[in-house]
Amino acid sequence: MSTETPDSIVSAPPLAAPNAGRPIPKAPGAVTAALRVFELSLGQMLWSRRTIFLGIVVGSPILLGLLVRILEFMGVAGTLKMGGASVSGDAAFGTMMWLLYLRFLVPVLGVFYGTALIADEVDDKTITYLFVRPIIRAAVLVGKFLAYVVTTIFVVLPSVVVLYLLVQPLGGGSLGAGFPRLLTDLGLLALGLVAYGALFALVGAWMKYPLVVGLVFVIGWEQLAMALPGYLRKLTIAYYLQSLVPHAMPTDGLGSALQSLFRDTPSPSVSILTLIVASAVFLALGGWLVQRREYVLEQ
Amino acid sequence: MTPLVVADHVSKWYGQVIGLNDVSVSIPPGITGLLGPNGAGKSTLLKLLTGQLKPSKGSLTVFGEPIWANPALYFRVGFCPEQDAFYDRMTGLEWVSGLVRLNGYSDKEALDAARAALEEVDLLAAADKKIGGYSKGMRQRVKMAQALAHNPELLILDEPLSGMDPIARRRTIRLVKDWAKAGRSIIVSSHILYEIEAMTSNILLIHNGRILAEGDVHSIRDLIDEHPHTVHVRSDHPRELARELLRRDDVLSLKLEEDAVEIQTSKPDSFYRYLTELAASGEAGGIAEVTSPDDNLQAVFKFLVK
Repeated sequence: MSTETPDSIVSAPPLAAPNAGRPIPKAPGAVTAALRVFELSLGQMLWSRRTIFLGIVVGSPILLGLLVRILEFMGVAGTLKMGGASVSGDAAFGTMMWLLYLRFLVPVLGVFYGTALIADEVDDKTITYLFVRPIIRAAVLVGKFLAYVVTTIFVVLPSVVVLYLLVQPLGGGSLGAGFPRLLTDLGLLALGLVAYGALFALVGAWMKYPLVVGLVFVIGWEQLAMALPGYLRKLTIAYYLQSLVPHAMPTDGLGSALQSLFRDTPSPSVSILTLIVASAVFLALGGWLVQRREYVLEQ
Repeated sequence: MTPLVVADHVSKWYGQVIGLNDVSVSIPPGITGLLGPNGAGKSTLLKLLTGQLKPSKGSLTVFGEPIWANPALYFRVGFCPEQDAFYDRMTGLEWVSGLVRLNGYSDKEALDAARAALEEVDLLAAADKKIGGYSKGMRQRVKMAQALAHNPELLILDEPLSGMDPIARRRTIRLVKDWAKAGRSIIVSSHILYEIEAMTSNILLIHNGRILAEGDVHSIRDLIDEHPHTVHVRSDHPRELARELLRRDDVLSLKLEEDAVEIQTSKPDSFYRYLTELAASGEAGGIAEVTSPDDNLQAVFKFLVK
């Protein structure tokens, strides 16, 4: 696959005469095409209503952290408590990572963005412009997937850093001591966004009601499989992702308690490799499906 | 002449609904008009011709090759779809150049090609404005610009004049003819015979998913003239416009709306010419949009298929 611009195009041809009788430029390679679709899609995705809503969602815990810091600064707040017990800023940040980011935001973002990569273009009827270009259709899916990864990382990871800076020092926690764990958090969140996004890009390319299937997977299947003993948990993304988390798992309910009870964790290298390979396979299958499927736009 | 497009017993079903029914047709180089009412199968045929859909039955070739799953043909084909759909946050220049980069152009080449295409459709002055702020006519023209920016041999235009004001219409019709003179072939669809006739006499008549007639179809012209033709004109000053139009003998009825006038005319050709002159003179205020409901054709087609 070439990423080079074809040499055969020297300058834009004059419009007065069409291509007849002249050498036709070489088609962009799959990688070049995907990168160009990415560039075309990034701005649209960054400023979409979905991303603005995401910004509000990830902004909420930051506001909460800010409020707690202001109260602490004013001497109004006492010690930080969760479930009646005093906790350090480090533990509070770890809990937020588990409950807010890992169990909620990352899978849900994967569902909402991943399933919509092609569906949004179909609903908006803009897919036509991409499908009548001399590129393989799979490049459209991959390019849009890259735009999703950059968009979500751009919004989610900075919010985690800000939250860390606000919450970690509470109760005398050290920013420096927790920094290596923060880096691990950022890496695993990025990996989670990639893995969930790739899975649901495949679901979006494959199924008629991908959003429903996606929500059932993350809210139903993953929670159930993770709370059961045996091998079923290996058919989830959460199983591999959670093994990378550098914070203690919270025991906030029956589900968490069961997950803690049956928890077995693969090694970090196995988890990372599995998630990367699975993401590549999901994307390849998604591209294969987009290549073959007809998209009928509603009149 | 070697045909550009050959459809051999092509049918297309959407589940239980038939979109195109056993169509066999050869489209020669030059301008070909595809005429039919809404739901006739025009868009289905154009989607098949542009490889967006795969025939359920039969075979379809463009430049001698099947177009489904054959992206290399898109170097030679440009498509302007009917839908009013864009990346609204982008400027016209960003959008057209972004799309033409997918044809293998470098950044600079794509910008040059996009500027040339935008100039061709008289939109260069608005190239740096966001598409979301474009008028309907400008949006139509930027769609055409993306179709011709890579300089294709065959342009496929789905209802390109829809929503344009009379002056933009006249200019676009002239452009289509100029493109054909320069060696391009053009397939253009419409539900208005007068639009198609202004561009070409080579017409494909399509109705209920079948090609009813093809070639120089003067005979249906008389039939169409027997039916009053409805025209909807959106205007800044509908009252002044109505006053002007009522002076004409061919205006059979007139309905005044808040920002528009709907007219029934017995002489559509002469009426459209007059409307263009009126718009150019600005005497009755600005004319923003001219549309014609497709029930004009329905009656004629019903008669033809009896």
